[in-house]
Amino acid sequence: MSPSKIPPLTYKVVAECSVSKARAGLMTLRHSEVDTPVFMPVGTQGTLKGVLPDQLIEMNCQILLGNTYHLGMRPGIETLRRAGGLHSFMGWPRAILTDSGGFQMVSLLQLAEIDEHGVKFRSPFDNSECMLTPEHSIQIQNAIGADIMMQLDDVVKTTTTGPRVEEAMERTIRWVDRCIEAHARDDDQSLFPIVQGGLETPLRERCVSALIERRVRGFAVGGLSGGESKDDFWRMVHVCTDRLPRDKPRYLMGVGFAADLVVCVALGIDMFDCVFPTRTARFGCALVDRGQLNLKQQKYKHDMQPIDKECECSTCLRYTRSYLHHIATNESVSCSLLSVHNVAYQLRLMRGMREAVHRNEFPQFVRDFMARHFEGEPLPTWIREALAAVHIELPPDIVDEQAAAQS
Amino acid sequence: MKFVINKQISRDSGRLGQLLIQRGEGAGQLQLRTPLLMQTTKGGSIPYLSGNVFEYVSKEQQPLLLQLTLSTMDQMAESLLQYPSGLSAYVGYPGYPNVLLFRDPCETTPSGGNDRDVVPLYTRHGKGSITAQRYMELMDSFAPDLYQGLCDADTNADSSKKRVQKSVDRTERFMDYCYEQHGKLDRLSKSTLLAPIVGGYSTYARTQSIKHARQQPANSFGGYVLEGFHTNGLSATHLEASKLLPIVKHCVTELDDEKPRMMCGAYTPLMILELVRLGVDMFDTSYAYCAAVNYKALTFNFELNDENGCPKQTPFLDITDDTLKEDFRPLVANCSCLACQKHTRAYVHHLYKTNELLGPILLMVHNLHHYMAFFETIHKSMASDKLSELAKLLNADSTADYSIAKNVKVINKAGMGKGFVSATN
Repeated sequence: MSPSKIPPLTYKVVAECSVSKARAGLMTLRHSEVDTPVFMPVGTQGTLKGVLPDQLIEMNCQILLGNTYHLGMRPGIETLRRAGGLHSFMGWPRAILTDSGGFQMVSLLQLAEIDEHGVKFRSPFDNSECMLTPEHSIQIQNAIGADIMMQLDDVVKTTTTGPRVEEAMERTIRWVDRCIEAHARDDDQSLFPIVQGGLETPLRERCVSALIERRVRGFAVGGLSGGESKDDFWRMVHVCTDRLPRDKPRYLMGVGFAADLVVCVALGIDMFDCVFPTRTARFGCALVDRGQLNLKQQKYKHDMQPIDKECECSTCLRYTRSYLHHIATNESVSCSLLSVHNVAYQLRLMRGMREAVHRNEFPQFVRDFMARHFEGEPLPTWIREALAAVHIELPPDIVDEQAAAQS
Repeated sequence: MKFVINKQISRDSGRLGQLLIQRGEGAGQLQLRTPLLMQTTKGGSIPYLSGNVFEYVSKEQQPLLLQLTLSTMDQMAESLLQYPSGLSAYVGYPGYPNVLLFRDPCETTPSGGNDRDVVPLYTRHGKGSITAQRYMELMDSFAPDLYQGLCDADTNADSSKKRVQKSVDRTERFMDYCYEQHGKLDRLSKSTLLAPIVGGYSTYARTQSIKHARQQPANSFGGYVLEGFHTNGLSATHLEASKLLPIVKHCVTELDDEKPRMMCGAYTPLMILELVRLGVDMFDTSYAYCAAVNYKALTFNFELNDENGCPKQTPFLDITDDTLKEDFRPLVANCSCLACQKHTRAYVHHLYKTNELLGPILLMVHNLHHYMAFFETIHKSMASDKLSELAKLLNADSTADYSIAKNVKVINKAGMGKGFVSATN
């Protein structure tokens, strides 16, 4: 078989948790192998804020996310084509995933109007009226050349209810066919459809059923993590993963808080992305199992420990909380140092989950993680229920035990 | 600290030497070659670069001296008293020797605020005033390997005679206190004091300042810092050689040969060569920073006997130039730095356009690499007595302008948010 005949994405489940829906897999893309479950750091404009590609490779980051909307504006499709795609333009040899651009239109722009044709918006640079159609989104993504691309979907606010949600779901299915039709580089790039359907189980089920009829190599779950209740959130993920095929990767868009990652891996998700780790870094916050440390707080002024003793990132090996306290948000290098740590934290968490699935000890990993994460605080009910739905039982809250002992 | 002169080629070819810095009990000593390029820092970090990334730049380089500044680190004094492993380790560079200076050579120091008993200290919180007593307390907290004595260096080529005289007189008073305390303070017992020489552009005042230092017992201080020629920041790139060099020459003649001479600030590469020739031993990387923060990549050619090189290279590549949009060449052809090996002009231009922090990071990586390589060439050409050929090469295009002007296109750029300061005029 010639190399071009090997599909641009192959996915293999390597190990499965015998209790929950968690699985560890290997996804092989044109630019990199990717061990799943995976967290993909977001490099919106062709760079992960303040971090060099070499540093990401040192951290064993295998796949980055780029934003089609931003890259289509700057440097623009022509420049990306002449550069030979985004990999070459930004000097990143490993895998890239791009979104469709639709989400940014709706979230960033005031004047976005959606009809059957596409998304109409005003350019923030020259105020001209532009139209992003499914075909146009794919055209830009073909120029970017990411290993995985997303279909343009009809995005509605997560909390929207009523017929608009169904319309958006149906339109998303119609648009995926236009995207597949427009996709000109199927030998190099894989197009993922996006499961929509708001917070309504029947709509999600219908959407999955329709999408799995299409010839695609993986699926995304969209329209979540936008302000809905956690109770709705996990149930929608659960519904989707129950019906998505076992042999293809599943990507949950925009999710990246540690506890959410652990729950959603248990529910059978393989891929995640989120700007949170790098955004919070810019505000002087460092991720730890317990949540995050706001290093600007006075209590860290003379704290001579690393952010996390267990962490082996280049920031923790070299710098104290005290020093980071002094430079956080003052010296721009602090942004790089905390981004490195926070991305390393996310990658380490995912590695921990993969290894636990391999050893078939994932339920214990979840219990240990939750104990560290909530440390004496009562566990949120939604986490308890979500994990119970995949047969991972968590011990009763310690707080409750003490209360019980006293009564 | 010890200073050894290895080679003095002739009176006007400068001198090759070594700074030997003792590294604690049984840890041996570090040898730093002079003319030495100190690594300028802000808040203890090399601007924009984490220690990890700096190691990509400095791979296989000689040991490096960190140049720390009180004006960017004053708030850390209290923490350092509680940190057991020393100043360099605290800022992420364990094992590196350090020198602590008063002012940040990267930024313009505002004029004024001097008094008989206090020196203004400009930090990111604004202006503070510092007495000699407070200054020595701070030095004791920081416990640097080398540090400068307190001085009033608020002079430049335009300063009045009166201002210059005040700077000399006040510096003497401050230094009397520093000399006295230096021997008494516990944490400074292993530190070396550097004597500031002030006096603006007056040979008379300079002589007076030098005389005061040389009256001290020879072991009370270990070197000289020649201050008061400019007010830091971009101003140092605009100095006139015809005014500066005669004064430096005058100073060097009156200083003893046995001690190293430091001059801080963003002197242009051409001026550096002249200062080296006069016998100045220590410089810093603030020029590389001042260029990077104004989105200029250093491109000047210093390759002697470069067969395929183009001697007509301009001093800088302006990254904000729109013609770079699709220029997929490296910043400098054949440059071995990480930025040039892995990235293109078009990409760095894109990072400028999108105000991404990686832009100044890549420019710092390149500019430091370029500037450090320039100093390597200085060493080599001194050893083979070719310093004047190097100067000729840099001067090949007499219209080349090595000074750095504020790039108005990049105000509020360089990936900096609130509180981040940038180089100003």
